[in-house]
Amino acid sequence: MSDGSLLEVLLNTLVPGDGADWPAAGSHGLAKKTREMAGLQPDGVKALDALLAMLPAGFEGQSQDEREHVLARIEGDAPEIFGAVLSATYTAYYTDPRIRDVIERLCGYENRPPQPLGYELPPFDESLLDQVKARGPIWRVVPET
Amino acid sequence: MSETADIVIVGGGAGGLAFAWAVADPRLKVVILERGDYVDQRRAPTLDAGWELAQQTRFNANPNIRAGSADHPVDDSGSPIKPAFFNAVGGSTVRWGAHFPRFRPSDFRPRTLDGVGNDWPLDYRELEPWYDLNDRMMGVAGLSGDPGNPPRRRRPCPPLPLCPATEKLAAGFDKLGWHWWPSDAAILTTGRAGRAPCNNCGPCGLGCPRYARASADIAYAGQARAKGVDIRTGATVTGIELSPPGNRVEALSYIDRDGGLNRVACAEAVIAGNGLGTARLLLDQRKIQHTLLGRGLMLHPTAIVTGVFDEPLASYRGAFAAALVSQEFYETDTARGFKRGFQMQVLRGQGPLTTAQGGYGTALPWGKQHAAAFTRSFGRTLSLTVTCDDLPERDNRIEIDANRTDRWGMPIPKMIYRLGKNTKSMLRFGIDRATEALTAAGADKINVTELSRAAGFHLMGTARMAEDERLGVTNRDGRVHGISNLTLADSSLFASAAPVNPTPTLQAIALRAGRAMRDRLGLAGAEPS
Ligand SMILES: Cc1cc2nc3c(=O)[nH]c(=O)nc-3n(C[C@H](O)[C@H](O)[C@H](O)COP(=O)(O)OP(=O)(O)OC[C@H]3O[C@@H](n4cnc5c(N)ncnc54)[C@H](O)[C@@H]3O)c2cc1C
Ligand code: SF4
Repeated sequence: MSDGSLLEVLLNTLVPGDGADWPAAGSHGLAKKTREMAGLQPDGVKALDALLAMLPAGFEGQSQDEREHVLARIEGDAPEIFGAVLSATYTAYYTDPRIRDVIERLCGYENRPPQPLGYELPPFDESLLDQVKARGPIWRVVPET
Repeated sequence: MSETADIVIVGGGAGGLAFAWAVADPRLKVVILERGDYVDQRRAPTLDAGWELAQQTRFNANPNIRAGSADHPVDDSGSPIKPAFFNAVGGSTVRWGAHFPRFRPSDFRPRTLDGVGNDWPLDYRELEPWYDLNDRMMGVAGLSGDPGNPPRRRRPCPPLPLCPATEKLAAGFDKLGWHWWPSDAAILTTGRAGRAPCNNCGPCGLGCPRYARASADIAYAGQARAKGVDIRTGATVTGIELSPPGNRVEALSYIDRDGGLNRVACAEAVIAGNGLGTARLLLDQRKIQHTLLGRGLMLHPTAIVTGVFDEPLASYRGAFAAALVSQEFYETDTARGFKRGFQMQVLRGQGPLTTAQGGYGTALPWGKQHAAAFTRSFGRTLSLTVTCDDLPERDNRIEIDANRTDRWGMPIPKMIYRLGKNTKSMLRFGIDRATEALTAAGADKINVTELSRAAGFHLMGTARMAEDERLGVTNRDGRVHGISNLTLADSSLFASAAPVNPTPTLQAIALRAGRAMRDRLGLAGAEPS
């Protein structure tokens, strides 16, 4: 199996989606982008290659549960390497515009950058402070020196 | 190149720019030497789809990860809390959250009141007019009347809005009968020339394209330049020349962006390179032998407690670090088992990627549980910091590594820090209180980060002030004892840390020190009003 398809299987194991709204990361074509994202971290690509090399023969033929079991063991043995790969995977996934569309649909978070539109919020309502004000000062008065 | 200036300031950050503006005068040649560049906030990454990536890369607060062209490495292997600062015009405020609390009067007297730390040679009343002046310069939103603090002037603009999540938390605090108040924030809620009001976009740490958030470059650099200050970028100061017998600075030397070595002779030298950069430069030059130089590093160890609510709250809306604060556990109560106290500052929810990566804590679970965990967290979290007052322990320090140099030929600084017993007890207690507050607010799941490793952004106390030269590196005006024309103007001067973010206080000190220098030079200047 090529490195690319092994990576796809790895990504599908890390982010398998839910079979409905959320796609699996590997099948969603994010292998190349994940490698690019790993390259943004110091030693990220090295970590990705090291993790791929740790996967046992036949990994891609195993069930999701079996593969998760394998990865949990690697996570325990090599937490830094695993953490770097997970971070690159999440980065590729959650910056993908199609995933941002899913987020917009399910969570109401518009698929656009925070600026220039920002968000509307109602002005501060001072009456919320009635109870705090009623208690009076709580700061310690310090004698003049 | 060799030249002469009246005043040379190392570092164009929060302290350096405030100082420069306060001291500037058409009769003076004032030069700021800043190793970084201007950051064009009008083109902040929040305008682009990939904005969350910028947070991890070129805007990463950790200089070791960011590794930009103005950054030098920091050996942080001796500290569980990692360095966070920014090298640019505006300094670390380019990257900051703009939470803008003042010290309380008791924070200037911890030794007298509580028998720990150091008293300051200044007090709240003396700094108050400088806090006020700085509020006007930066542009501060807030509400006067906070029972947690001495009365203060009407804030320059009304408080930032709450959001559904922070309203729940406010109700939680009320349920417990605890103090809370809308944060003072260096963020405009009403516009002023060249600056639009905040539109609640959220990630202030990436720069504010509306200039609603004040960083020192936005608030001070233009006004300092208008008064004639020459802000030189890409200028890394590497040398301090003393005239014999070593009690006067003759000149500073710096490496420019082309690698050229330059010398500026000066009548007055000012260093404002932050609690790490200032100590590093002075230690490297070995021009000051004070035993306290570099010592007593304070970092505000911070725990972060996150509440997850079971309904969508769009908690990413609104300035991420400036909504409300509780100072219920601020003053010493010995029954709690520690001295001094902490603040709980709200941090809002984050973007999708940062949420998946765990925000302030550990990453969301991967595998089959991931999709559900994401839906369950995103837009539904709210965090409280437990920002602990920190005691100046002698062994906590900045050192330099004589065996490793950066690309400017300067020794690499080392950050050496351990949590003290008092702090550990305070963190434990504070985590329980923050958990209580978020639970009272209705959170049905709590995640605790017992110590935020990324929170090394308040670098204080490495050249503390004291009138007695045995007890401090500088006097109350930031003048280095034993050197007639060297002033420090940044957070290295802090005698104690207080449980609040340091910038309003360090800028008030810098403004006051700038005015004191004017007085010494015989230049008239009105008192702040
Ligand atoms: C992520 C983050 C969030 C923060 N949030 C808040 C907040 O909400 N509220 C708050 O009060 N504070 C906050 N802070 C802290 C705040 O930014 C600092 O307290 C403040 O900027 C320190 O001011 P300073 O003048 O001491 O140093 P800085 O602002 O760091 O400025 C120092 C400057 O000196 C320059 N310099 C250093 N050495 C040299 C040299 N040898 N030659 C030339 N130039 C040099 C640096 O490049 C830098 O620009 C935050 C910081 C970070 C990183
Ligand atoms: S939340 Fe407000 S202050 Fe912060 S970056 Fe957005 S607009 Fe600017």
